[in-house]
Amino acid sequence: MNVAVTVDAREDSPAWLAYGTPVFTVLAALAVSAIALVVLDVNPVAAYRTMFVETLVTEFGLSETLTKAIPLILTGLAVYLPLKAGLFNIGAEGQLVAGALAGTWIGLNVSLPGLALVPLMFVAAAVAGGIWAGIPAYLRAKWDVNEIITSLLLTFVALEIQSYLLRGPMQGGAGNFPQSDRFSEAATIPELFGGVHAGLLAALCMVIATYVLMTKTRLGFEITFVGSNDEAAQQAGMSKFYVYLLVFVVGGAFAAMGGISEIAGAQGRYRAGFEPGYGFTAIPIALLGRNSAFKVMLAGLFFAVLFVGGSSMEVAFGVPAALVEIIQALVILFLITAEFFKSYRVGIDLKRGPAETPAHPQRGDD
Amino acid sequence: MVSFIAGLLDATVQAATVLLLAGMGELISERAGVLNLGVEGMMLVGALGGFITTVLTGSHWLGFGVGILLGMVLALVHAFLCITLKSNQVISGVMLTLLGTGLTTFFGSGWVEESISGFPQITFPLVGQYLVGIPVIGEALFRSTATDYLALGLLVVVWYFLYHSNLGLEMIAVGEDPEMADTMGVSVFRLRYLAVLIGGGFAGAAGAHLSLAFSQLWVPGMTAGRGWIAVALVIFAQWRPRRMLVGAYLFGLLDALRIRSQSISLTLGPDAPLAGVINPIVEFLMTPQIMGTYPYLATIIVLVYAVIRTKSDQLAVPSALLQSYSRETD
Repeated sequence: MNVAVTVDAREDSPAWLAYGTPVFTVLAALAVSAIALVVLDVNPVAAYRTMFVETLVTEFGLSETLTKAIPLILTGLAVYLPLKAGLFNIGAEGQLVAGALAGTWIGLNVSLPGLALVPLMFVAAAVAGGIWAGIPAYLRAKWDVNEIITSLLLTFVALEIQSYLLRGPMQGGAGNFPQSDRFSEAATIPELFGGVHAGLLAALCMVIATYVLMTKTRLGFEITFVGSNDEAAQQAGMSKFYVYLLVFVVGGAFAAMGGISEIAGAQGRYRAGFEPGYGFTAIPIALLGRNSAFKVMLAGLFFAVLFVGGSSMEVAFGVPAALVEIIQALVILFLITAEFFKSYRVGIDLKRGPAETPAHPQRGDD
Repeated sequence: MVSFIAGLLDATVQAATVLLLAGMGELISERAGVLNLGVEGMMLVGALGGFITTVLTGSHWLGFGVGILLGMVLALVHAFLCITLKSNQVISGVMLTLLGTGLTTFFGSGWVEESISGFPQITFPLVGQYLVGIPVIGEALFRSTATDYLALGLLVVVWYFLYHSNLGLEMIAVGEDPEMADTMGVSVFRLRYLAVLIGGGFAGAAGAHLSLAFSQLWVPGMTAGRGWIAVALVIFAQWRPRRMLVGAYLFGLLDALRIRSQSISLTLGPDAPLAGVINPIVEFLMTPQIMGTYPYLATIIVLVYAVIRTKSDQLAVPSALLQSYSRETD
């Protein structure tokens, strides 16, 4: 007997695969991560119950989830939009930091009434994030320098500058901690309802704006076109240069808004390391939700549940919250595995292969 | 001053070894056409695995070996996803870094208290015992841990392997033009698997060196971005082993300098002309955090320079980097 694995490209993937994949990958990731819990002698069912049920039914859990979702959705969009044009922005983290720093500086140094100050902080953040994202975009558009590498490297530059500013010029508050002064009342984003700040509105508006841009406008069509075939798009008279620059700069501005809303809405001051890598989590979010801006929003909410649930699990069971990182990584690793089965049909053939036509009798099949 | 320079050199050698080991692995992997952004995660896995093994068995070399092995295990996942399943190399790599960070933080939290005796220091074989007495540089260069010398030895091996062995040249061919290599009878899949696994082994070794020789302890996230610097280093070295040696020691020197930058004063005296303008600038540029940006900025500049110059037909980036290869014609 000869076992042959055949791999054929699928003509089109069946609908159940398209809808089932995200659900399946999340379940598979949870199942595998359960092994880690068992190793630490924790009952996975009880742990997941705390993680999901208590996060979703308590008022505290819900308000925390929505608050965490704001930067996650915005950074998710920062990766999603360039992805549509065929570019990979893995530097959303750096754009978030650059924006948050600029916004914080305005918040601490400009005195205006809240209705003017908070929007000004958002504008400053968006400009800084846009510039930070504009560098890799320009290098890519102009000289074809790989935007993945430059946006990644600029993230670490931004993180070092953050650390410099918070230990030096922007350092404030009691003690010698790497953090800024507290924001005044005017520089704080007001509460919307039940502990959730108004940054949620900004996130929602950006989701809707991105959705409209991508589905209803000519520019959105051009972005998709450049993303699927940049040469044909240029033949059709579209400017790749302009599209590349635009998606990255707008994406950087999104990430920056995520950063400033987390600081001015949830934290109250800029602390070094104030966030657990939203800009990197943005990559799985954009991938899970890559079909539409609304799916990015859903994916952002899902990861917010994971983050909040992870912390409550840490408190309740003494399990390191790093489990969340494991789950996140596994979700995406399974997702890209599933992508393969979505685009290829894998068959296993049990047949007598020509090589096996016995030239000499075989001893015992095994 | 003499002891300051001696200490600086010693720290440079140690920091450079980590970057050199991780960088060589990344270089081999990228030369075969597979970008590995999971180095940071593989280093962490190697660091924790090596540390636990050494605590349990007392053998540094066994720990070092386990570190290499664990790095390769994580690299096998990367190879399977990127080569067999043709997944996106960037996503797979970033997620493996996340996975490695998560796994080591999760399982490593109980090992933070443990301590080990460091990797024993040796003098350089044969000539070391005579040269170690040289003032200033003697101790730093000729009395180090065995892994420091191993890294240098491996660099020669890697250089010879890539440019002077059939397998190495085939690997480069696979990273430049997989279709052509395939036509010539080179197995693209097998060579890429090999390259990624070697790369993971090197990353694991770098991590094990970090926890066993450099820090002699385990702390979650102890690689502190060195894996990303290794990725930058490969680009800085423009995918060439010899330049990597220079780059690793340069970045290593920067790393050693930034910890000590408070004790260096390069500012002009108050009476010197333009002291009021120059001194603040020098002080700013010597801040540890600002110095931390130099490797990344230098790499970006080198990358841009290399890409612009490619127009004149010089090798800049392996041509098939980031491209998965499949035989079927569609």
